[in-house]
Amino acid sequence: MTRCPVCLVQMNDTIARLSDHFYALQLKNNADHIMWLNRYIGKQRFGQDELELKFEKFFRTASLKEWIISNFVRKFYGDPPHMFILEMQHPKEYVLKGYAMEHHHFLKQWVRSCASIISNTDMEDVQAFEIENIVSEWYGAGDSRPSHHELLLRMGESLGVSRDAIYKSEPLPATKRAVEAWSMMSRDFTFVEGMAAMHSLELVASRNIRKYGATMGYFDPVILEDGSITEEAANFLGEGYNADVAHSETALDLIEKYSKEMRNTQDCQAVFLKSIEVFDDYLNARLERGMMLEDKQQ
Amino acid sequence: MKTNNSEGCALCNATWGEYWREIDGENMPFCCNICADIFQEMVRRVKENTGWDKIDYINLEGNYSKGRNCTATNGDRKYSYYFRTYSDGKFITFEER
Repeated sequence: MTRCPVCLVQMNDTIARLSDHFYALQLKNNADHIMWLNRYIGKQRFGQDELELKFEKFFRTASLKEWIISNFVRKFYGDPPHMFILEMQHPKEYVLKGYAMEHHHFLKQWVRSCASIISNTDMEDVQAFEIENIVSEWYGAGDSRPSHHELLLRMGESLGVSRDAIYKSEPLPATKRAVEAWSMMSRDFTFVEGMAAMHSLELVASRNIRKYGATMGYFDPVILEDGSITEEAANFLGEGYNADVAHSETALDLIEKYSKEMRNTQDCQAVFLKSIEVFDDYLNARLERGMMLEDKQQ
Repeated sequence: MKTNNSEGCALCNATWGEYWREIDGENMPFCCNICADIFQEMVRRVKENTGWDKIDYINLEGNYSKGRNCTATNGDRKYSYYFRTYSDGKFITFEER
């Protein structure tokens, strides 16, 4: 089976048919498929046979985990890194304000996706992983270990964005589209595809990201101690910085293990690729929200 | 109106697809309707900000991810700007530089 990384249609066939699918749709000027070709295969058109070879090369891998990491780093930490990551190195207040508001909507969906993954599997190691994830991200473990979401709300409050304002906000259109895509991918696809869609995203804040070829981290760690951001912001970023290492690495191992058993590696690649495209726009929405809150909108 | 993207799409220079749209009276090639939407909105903003009634040439450097640094020319007048969009073509930033 192969799945299209753009329209997510599943084809009962090989990579060659996926390549044909793209070739036919670019002839019809389909914007989404053409943009994908431009970003992942190249901007210069070539023939159908050569496109098939490029597709086979692009999707070929001995390790899904390594393939996901490599493509994630290339997209978000390549030359140059994503604009949000550049802004996060020494973040101005508007960046963290936008982060606080939009990420609330992300996290609400996150725990729903974790629950969808649980409901789609009988595998207890996966269920245990997702339960632990829901607790740390949303529920917390008593006063001494507030959830990631609670730390996010405290960061917002420290910057003058009340939790009431965050709860009453509607997600920006890009965030809404992303949330809807993640909801669908974790609910309607196999649990391992749902995991590939969601947990690959935790790589963004992984401390190991430089080991994988990134030229910078999620932020310059000096901001956790130099007083340039609020204590609450440092608590939020510091907690995520440490926690997401374990989350993303364990999840990628589970994804690799079960995609091999279920023989759906390419489907996982496709949903991962869809997920990072909507994540790209979602990161931009954090910046747009920040500009709106600071009235910096052009 | 000409751009430095002479091989394919007037916005991104890709040679996949073949979508044509009339911009300021000239039929221009794009790879898809989203690139055409972005280009059309970019031209509108340049004309609005400069007060020009026409643009002769636009030089575009950059890409979707990092945004595009551009210089528009009208006769001997020049206007430099930067813009970035979402993947659906909606503008995030457009600023004079």
